Amino acid sequence: MKWVLVAGVLALLALPAVLSSYALTLFILIFFYGFLGQAWNIVGGYAGQLSAGHAAFVGVGGYTATMLSIELGLTPWVGMLIGGVLAALLGAIIGYLGFRFGLRGFYFVLLTVAFAEICRVAVSNIDALGGPLGLYITFTGNPRQFQFQDGRVYYYIALALMLVATLTAWAIERRRFGIYLAAIREDEAAAEALGVNAFKYKMLAMVVSSFLTGLGGTFYAFYLFSLQPNTLFGIPLSVEIIIRPIVGGAGTLLGPILGSFILTPLAEISRLYLGQGGLHGAHLIAYGVLLIGVVLFLPEGVYPRLRRALARRSGQTR
Amino acid sequence: MTHRLTRRTFLETTAGGAAVLGFPLPLRAQPKTFKIGAIHPVTGALAEPGQACRLGAKMAVDAINAAGGVKGKGGIKLELLLGDTQTKPENGRVEAERVVTRGAQMLLGSFDSGSTNAMVSVAQQRRVPFLIDIAAADPITANVAQSVKAGQQKVQYVYRNFPTGSSFGRKAVQYFIEIFKEANVSPKRVVLMYCNDLFGQNQAHGFQAAHKTANPSWDIVEVIPWPEPPTDLSTEVSKAKAAKPDIIAPITRPASALLLFPEIRKQRIEMMGIVGPGSPGIYESGQIVQLKEDLEYVLTSVPWANFKNPKTATAAEEFRRRSGGKTFDTNSGYSYDAVFVIADILERATALDDPDAIVDAMKKTNYSSGLMQYGGPVAFNELGDNANAIPTMIQILSQKPVAVWPKEAALQKFVFPRPRA
Amino acid sequence: MDLTLVLQGVVSGLLFGGVYSLMAVGLTLIFGVMRVVNFAHGDMMVWGMYLAYVLATRAGIDPYASFLVCAAALFALGFVVQRGLVDRIVDAPHEMQILLMLGVALVLENVALVAFGPEPTRVRSPLASATLWLGPVFVDVARLVTFLVAVALTTALWAFLFRTDLGRTIRAAADNTYGALVVGTDVRRVYAVAFGVGAACVGAAGALVSPILPFQPPTGLSLSVASFNIVIIGGMGSLLGAFVGGLLVSLAESLGAVFLKPSLKELFSFSLLIVILLIRPAGLFGRRSA
Repeated sequence: MKWVLVAGVLALLALPAVLSSYALTLFILIFFYGFLGQAWNIVGGYAGQLSAGHAAFVGVGGYTATMLSIELGLTPWVGMLIGGVLAALLGAIIGYLGFRFGLRGFYFVLLTVAFAEICRVAVSNIDALGGPLGLYITFTGNPRQFQFQDGRVYYYIALALMLVATLTAWAIERRRFGIYLAAIREDEAAAEALGVNAFKYKMLAMVVSSFLTGLGGTFYAFYLFSLQPNTLFGIPLSVEIIIRPIVGGAGTLLGPILGSFILTPLAEISRLYLGQGGLHGAHLIAYGVLLIGVVLFLPEGVYPRLRRALARRSGQTR
Repeated sequence: MTHRLTRRTFLETTAGGAAVLGFPLPLRAQPKTFKIGAIHPVTGALAEPGQACRLGAKMAVDAINAAGGVKGKGGIKLELLLGDTQTKPENGRVEAERVVTRGAQMLLGSFDSGSTNAMVSVAQQRRVPFLIDIAAADPITANVAQSVKAGQQKVQYVYRNFPTGSSFGRKAVQYFIEIFKEANVSPKRVVLMYCNDLFGQNQAHGFQAAHKTANPSWDIVEVIPWPEPPTDLSTEVSKAKAAKPDIIAPITRPASALLLFPEIRKQRIEMMGIVGPGSPGIYESGQIVQLKEDLEYVLTSVPWANFKNPKTATAAEEFRRRSGGKTFDTNSGYSYDAVFVIADILERATALDDPDAIVDAMKKTNYSSGLMQYGGPVAFNELGDNANAIPTMIQILSQKPVAVWPKEAALQKFVFPRPRA
Repeated sequence: MDLTLVLQGVVSGLLFGGVYSLMAVGLTLIFGVMRVVNFAHGDMMVWGMYLAYVLATRAGIDPYASFLVCAAALFALGFVVQRGLVDRIVDAPHEMQILLMLGVALVLENVALVAFGPEPTRVRSPLASATLWLGPVFVDVARLVTFLVAVALTTALWAFLFRTDLGRTIRAAADNTYGALVVGTDVRRVYAVAFGVGAACVGAAGALVSPILPFQPPTGLSLSVASFNIVIIGGMGSLLGAFVGGLLVSLAESLGAVFLKPSLKELFSFSLLIVILLIRPAGLFGRRSA
């Protein structure tokens, strides 16, 4: 298994040599959403705390780096880290309130949505942040400004982000931290009875997750060159972030990546083949049916099922 | 491969290509069409205007091809490669990359400013000339111009044939002043009400800035933004009423217009009339069917088609037929014109396979056969914007939108102040 | 501050609260009984609106009459969604249910887009233009009617749940699924009926607010979010909570629009939501155990 992964990474490193610019863009989105999904997975999957407001962290990260770059000329390479820290701070606030007051399941979902929506409405009403018109980044192609004339650089950055998040998740999974999180997810009361400080570990998971997600905001801003509160803080982005890891298998190391490799191209293909005709919206119907299908037929996500299938096969051959 | 290389196509391609360029070509068929990537939001929140844009562009391509294509370039036909942003910026980039990879030599789009700016990066990165048919945010073109000026980019590939937020504002304030003068009234109190989304804020700020510069005899006494889409506007309208307005100046979206105008009537506000600085929601046939008398006498300053041109009536009729009864207006009209501007550029470009040659032709554009109402020929200034893309004041009279100002565009005299019910 | 304006804000806010209450009642039932987080709630409501629109434009039936038809149609939809989809994943992880309902929402929204097109619309009813004046304060008749219907519907639903055998069975199944199974209840059927009844409320609500609230296919999302706010504030599963929560949220937004920039008014409902979540997560009228 390990060698398969290494080979996969090597293949991804070599891939831009043969990809068209369009395919490159698709891979960038696959990596980017794989990255966001993996970041979410740390708190949403491993710790089982369903945050549906992760867009807020993307927004805080992106706006921070962009404002620092526009107003102070600070390079987004540094702004990215500051944005991540501020996102982590927001994550800590949300986490503190949610976990201290014992909000579970759906209540935590709504708390996170409410925070993201408050951010969205607030930014929409702050003229200094561009209001609903948003911020527009000048295209210069200057690497110091996190911009590249060559699309392949974005590819490698997105890939690096995804690998960093995955290594982080892997490190957590292997350590006691990961075991505690799993215990909290399965039965929090029992975990606490065994002496696990649930609050502390949930907070840690939230902070790590929101920091990583905040880094993604800078990539989003400087890859798409504009930020609007509705797209960066909106519920649709939060939904995009969570569906990939859930489809792939929440709380598994490769689930978010697998989910992104499945859903991103599928969304693209359905738009390509169904979006051209007169029936505007047919591709989103197909996408919706697909989500329903995944839930009905692979209710734990794709990866756990795949892993079992593989294990069974290798068991037979042995 | 489904095509087999027959001797005939082999001869055609090599002989033809070699004859034109004077040297042997690789074995590839000459492109039979000039491909334009036309990217609009045909699903999602902005699906309605996006679909109108797409149809407008398609109609223009059909008309150009039926008339023999780009005549100066051997009658090459235009072909649209369609893209859908779903109103998401990332898809602006994805779709632009896709159509360019599939051979699009120019880009057209994309209505919403976020997706448009994402397309700008593709245009600049991959050197694909991009004509923005609709998108009002000022920085989109200005940022590229600035980056070229600072030497960070060599060539500006992005041009826009649409009024910007600030030019919208300047024209609206000018029309307000002229209409009040012509009607011989002197309103004092204007209440500005707007949807607090990308477009609404841009319009409102442009209007307020232009008002400050012009310093007319009327004041903006209250500014009331609402979240878009709103569920209820009754308190907002009560607030406007409490400000004792002579004029209510609304910037709406179609959904909020359906709430706002009946509410204004129900709360019985005594005033001279409703005069908008420019927004959708007021003139679309569907809106008029729904709002009926609530829209009567409403004025608004929007990009409008020049119906004095007989070709406009023909296009409008075709649009009505192909769209299932919709009005040929701002969105369909500007997308339609944009394709004709592109055809004009291609006629004049020294070479079609060199983006910089197309840009050179683009910069020298001086096109005056558009169907929209312009302040002069389509030409691009140092920012890449067409300063002659201006709005027209229209009014809903007998349940039809009619151009009423400026005088040279007017088909009818405006009715203002509105008659008392 | 203009006192008339404040008074008007209170009146408008309370009246529009009827719309919010109607939106929330069906949702609270579905959650209260089945613990299903119905993310397709707003889209179901939009379908209620479109059905009312079709009946009004094709058959000339006023939405204040056709809402029963819409309720029946949505009952069927709700029954099918529960029986065919939700019921099949009761053992799956929590997040899968969210994904399922997101999928349903996506399908409902875009089928509406294909069927009805993207333009916003509204159902015309003679009632929708009527107004009453109490001195300087105006009362919108359509909203007044909606308000009264919200009261009636909440009462009727309460009577159904607490005064009929089927209602009692539903509540029993909600309180104790295992116990209900032991006494021989067909729990799956009871759940499907309960989901259907909740969806029927949503359909009726959609039809009833269709002359007041303009709608288009993507409207569902904002309706879902607003409804969830109200239900949490009032208390998940509490009918009275949904009703009062609707009034409260609407009043808060209306007064927010009076005293501050109206574009900030959504802040009030979300802040109210956070405060309630933290100090009384069961909501104003919910049971403690929630």
